[in-house]
Amino acid sequence: MITAQFDELIHPSTRLSIVALLAAADWVEFSFVRDQLSLSDSALSKQLSTLEDARYVRVERPTNGRRRRVHVRLTDAGRTAFRGHVAALQAIVGVAQSRNGEAQPR
Amino acid sequence: MDVPPLEARAALDTVEKSRLRVIDEIGLPQWYWWGLALGWIILGWVTDLNYPWLTAAATLVFGAVHSAVAPRVINGRHRSNQLSVNADIVDRHLPALVLGGLIILAGITVAGAVAISADGAQHPVTITSIFVAVVIVLGGPRLLAAVRRRAVRSSARR
Repeated sequence: MITAQFDELIHPSTRLSIVALLAAADWVEFSFVRDQLSLSDSALSKQLSTLEDARYVRVERPTNGRRRRVHVRLTDAGRTAFRGHVAALQAIVGVAQSRNGEAQPR
Repeated sequence: MDVPPLEARAALDTVEKSRLRVIDEIGLPQWYWWGLALGWIILGWVTDLNYPWLTAAATLVFGAVHSAVAPRVINGRHRSNQLSVNADIVDRHLPALVLGGLIILAGITVAGAVAISADGAQHPVTITSIFVAVVIVLGGPRLLAAVRRRAVRSSARR
């Protein structure tokens, strides 16, 4: 059961895009997020730090061969917060739609 | 926080856009299709050599290699090494779909080889295998494109 809970930390557009991207995956390479959202390394790092401080994401550096890789994944807390936030957004839109429906002239 | 409905709608669109970006990554790596096609042709060629023990051994090796490789990629979640798509996003029937397709292609290979052999061709299995290999290389990615379209439709219904 998902509890609708608006999350101000997730809501800003860039952070929402990042969290939504991570929510659809188990893990995502840092460069993939950066390229898909057209962000600079520093801009993405800053957003990830904020999410990491809130314990919504985890940044991992797996040692796999010579190439340096950085994996980003949503934590369980992050996933729960994201689902709650989406449910809250849907609730806002739903209420507005039902109000508009009632206001429609017959 | 008082969020206007239009802003909430825009935020939901942002969420959907990110989801679609990940859906676009559903697929099997290109090397899987090429490797499968190559293996199919080699197996056909070996069969045409007419050494039953060699055919049996080659079939076992082909099956063993495929069994070792397929479970890692056949779920459609690791097309690239850039991300691992969440299992909830991918059609859980995808492995069965791919394996079912391979069984049908094996049947087509046998039936085609028998038909071509009856016509007097010298390398019936090799010829049919090349045809099936082309189907694998061209058809495999198309099958996955259809799976992606289905995932997009199912995402829109959410």
